[in-house]
Amino acid sequence: MKKKTLLILLILIAVLATGCSKNNTTNPNEKLVEFDPNAGFDTLLEQAKGTTVTFYGWGGDENRNRFLNESLAPKLKEKYDITLEVVGMDIDNILAKLAGEKQAGLEEGSIDMIWINGENFYSAKENDLLFGPFTDKLPNFEKYIDTEDEEVLNDFGFPIEGYEAPYGKAQLVFLKDSAVTPETPRNTQEFLDFCKKYEGKVTYAALPDFTGSAFVRTLIYDIVGHEQFLTMEADKEVVREAIEPALEYLRELNKYLWNQGKTFPATNGEVDNMFQDGELVMAMSYGPYAAAVGIEKGIYNDTVKTFVFDNGTVGNTNYIAIAKNSPNKAGAMVVINEIISAETQAEQFEALKTLPVVAYDKLSDEEKARFDKVDIGQGVLPQDQLLSKRLPEMPANLVPIIEEIWLEEVVGK
Amino acid sequence: MNKKTPYILIMPIVLLGVLFIYGLVNGIIQSFGYIPAFDLRDFTLDYYVKVIKSPTFLDSLKLTLQISLISSILSAVLGTILTAALVYTGHTEGKALQIIKLAILIPHTIVALFSISILSQNGLLARLFYKLGLIDAQTDFPLLLYTKNNIGIILGYLWKEVPFVAYFSLSLMASINKTLGEAAENLGASRLKSFFYITLPLSMPAIGKAFLIILTFSFGAYDLPFLLGATVPKALPVQAHIEYIHPDLRHRPYAMAMNGLILLITWIMAGIYYLVTNSKKIKGDNHERS
Amino acid sequence: MKDLSSNRLLKIFLYLALFAILAPMVIIIFWAFANQWPWPNLLPTSYSLRGVKEIFAPYGKVFPILTSSITLSLTVALLSAIIAIMTARAIVFYDFWGKGILDFISMAPNLVPSTVFAMGIHVVFIKMSLANTPLGVIIVHLIYTLPYTINIMRNLTESIGKDMEQQAYVLGASPWKSFLYISFPLLLPGIIASITMAYILSFSQYFVTLLIGGGKVMTFSMIMVPFIAKGDRTLGSAYALVFVISTLLVFTIINTIMKRFQKRKEKYNWN
Repeated sequence: MKKKTLLILLILIAVLATGCSKNNTTNPNEKLVEFDPNAGFDTLLEQAKGTTVTFYGWGGDENRNRFLNESLAPKLKEKYDITLEVVGMDIDNILAKLAGEKQAGLEEGSIDMIWINGENFYSAKENDLLFGPFTDKLPNFEKYIDTEDEEVLNDFGFPIEGYEAPYGKAQLVFLKDSAVTPETPRNTQEFLDFCKKYEGKVTYAALPDFTGSAFVRTLIYDIVGHEQFLTMEADKEVVREAIEPALEYLRELNKYLWNQGKTFPATNGEVDNMFQDGELVMAMSYGPYAAAVGIEKGIYNDTVKTFVFDNGTVGNTNYIAIAKNSPNKAGAMVVINEIISAETQAEQFEALKTLPVVAYDKLSDEEKARFDKVDIGQGVLPQDQLLSKRLPEMPANLVPIIEEIWLEEVVGK
Repeated sequence: MNKKTPYILIMPIVLLGVLFIYGLVNGIIQSFGYIPAFDLRDFTLDYYVKVIKSPTFLDSLKLTLQISLISSILSAVLGTILTAALVYTGHTEGKALQIIKLAILIPHTIVALFSISILSQNGLLARLFYKLGLIDAQTDFPLLLYTKNNIGIILGYLWKEVPFVAYFSLSLMASINKTLGEAAENLGASRLKSFFYITLPLSMPAIGKAFLIILTFSFGAYDLPFLLGATVPKALPVQAHIEYIHPDLRHRPYAMAMNGLILLITWIMAGIYYLVTNSKKIKGDNHERS
Repeated sequence: MKDLSSNRLLKIFLYLALFAILAPMVIIIFWAFANQWPWPNLLPTSYSLRGVKEIFAPYGKVFPILTSSITLSLTVALLSAIIAIMTARAIVFYDFWGKGILDFISMAPNLVPSTVFAMGIHVVFIKMSLANTPLGVIIVHLIYTLPYTINIMRNLTESIGKDMEQQAYVLGASPWKSFLYISFPLLLPGIIASITMAYILSFSQYFVTLLIGGGKVMTFSMIMVPFIAKGDRTLGSAYALVFVISTLLVFTIINTIMKRFQKRKEKYNWN
């Protein structure tokens, strides 16, 4: 008798547990019959109606989460009757998931759109995890994007071939508190002097941290130039030889860094926290308007200023791709088409302070005005100045090699 | 009783066990370079050989063993004292226990946040010393994090694992103390004696298991060493994690081989543990018989 | 004399330990409301409601996710405790084929790096259509919690022994009844400990949940961890605070229910 009540209790709990996420487990896209990317955009719109699109990407930015859920999702619902489901997940886990699905031979996966770029895109495309080409089938791609732009054609030196659409632009910038440090280093030599003056108060995140790695590449560019890397062979010895002067510089720099460069903070988040607390006098970010965002949140002082080197800093674009086994490719294409529209890009520029991907000269006057009136906030550099100091990323397969060499020849040396 | 009874009782665990082994084997074969999804189809030990041959492997291994052994032994000893403290001061339930559960509950990433906030050169301890005039600048405070002495990581583990040991062995020690320990005391043994001769030895299975659990856990976990450790050498699990997030998917077997090595070493440690405890048991049995 | 002084030492040790556990908790309470806390201040210099606002923002679905996450972990905890009781009884009281293997298997999940198991089981679960479902997540959580719960139950079952239950059985009570009225009340502390432990492990599980749940089964850890990993101390602490408070609430409820259960049992026993 007691056994029965226990059993009932258990069943009840199980039902409850499944009930809580019931709407997720049933496939909402059953009415999708046949998908043909060449069917024309109107057919795609028709197919996408009433479906759910999942968007997987990094979930650690509350501004972006808010923008996607409160601004983009309602608009998609209203305009196209599409439900956008935003899922926060790191790219390595997204790829692990796609790889597992591929291995199990799953035709209909769970991921539609992926926020991706660089080496991860390279690897995902190489391993046949992505759907494409699709960007040429999006009306807004032709309408708003500069299709001849280097960053639309290549991602970290790797040909995109229509497998991902630009989403936002990032660029490495440096931050300092002008009330603490009046000087602004403009190149690697001045940066060394800066570190000497503020001995022990400058550092960067240990590679392979995304930002720390970009910072080291920027230093390398400033010392040995960036052109040679664009065609360089992915061979450790070749790379080592090319960056030797930069390695020399980095070892010299170590002496004046936090803890004499014997050790480095594990993440750029930690570097940023140390800057906020006054333990460091310089921080860095891949978000070009990080200073404005930080000042607005109140975590930075109003006197925080953005700066870059005269020779520029590395910048890259991040993209949206569609999973090869996406159950709702039509819906994903409609959503991506909306994201690269002037309207959404302007809203995103305003809410997230990421550089827009639309080509300015393709915009109507009205659309231009929308971008122009956005107040990007305090302590930042204007967009044209940033873009004029923008250096291309290295080919994706050189990046891990540099990270390896850095570990062997720079840390604690 | 019924002969079938044990088989009915173990049905769920057997089912789950089969699933577990199936999953484990599926994961392990990746370390031998078999991932058809990425066009890797050759069974090979190359990945293991390359991992072991890498110049940093031995340093990493030493570091990982050091962290896990020191933190686990200290945790087991302090945890046993804490269990005894809870049992003998009559705090086997109520608020004290809730606080102990709190420590088990907090994820390791938050423990890292604690460590940085308290122990770093910018942390509350350094600030307190500065306010008291004991140090003049941040750099005067001893470096406890991000260095090769690993004090920060070990303290972080202690914070988590001492309460874990206490919680894990509490119900056993409490029930032994209630049934046998108190009886011994009633028969005139001193409390100290009854603890060391009766309660503690009989509680050893739980304490030992707890020790094994935290030993193997700290050997395989990357959160604390990643966030609080030195840049080089890196703990093995940190290295494995970095290989895992390596964007080149065909690099995955390296991560899996590293995890395979962690697995192997963990099982060796477990094997030693079982040998030691079983030989004790056998000795004990002999003792009883004679 | 000696006993008294050792007791006092134990008390001091206990209070020191409790203090050491609680003191860092104060930090997350401060950080959840702090904006800036620069060197060398012992208290934050500016406060904000950024964390609170984020948690209560409707788009984040923090509370729906929290509720389903608690339900999921409770299910895991209950199932884990029940399976643990069954397994412990089998191992302690009976001899059967494969006992040694079972003994090892029940411990093994602790001895396997989670990446290896998670990646392997992921493929298996996709084939079984268990990936991306709550059931799949419950099963992997069970696998991770059972080594702990089985151990707790096993030690306790051993120490209680079977004699009394057997007597009741001999006196004519059904096996189920003799278990329920004799052993169960004695096992209750262990059951509470098992449920608590399993709940904690399930609720804080991140990596396997992410991979098996695939973002379709959301748990609280999955929305909290990105902010902690990013180093956002205000939001990370705010989420951590919700994490801790909700769990303490759940424990209080479990304790109350179990106490009532126990009292009812005692009444039965008197009759």
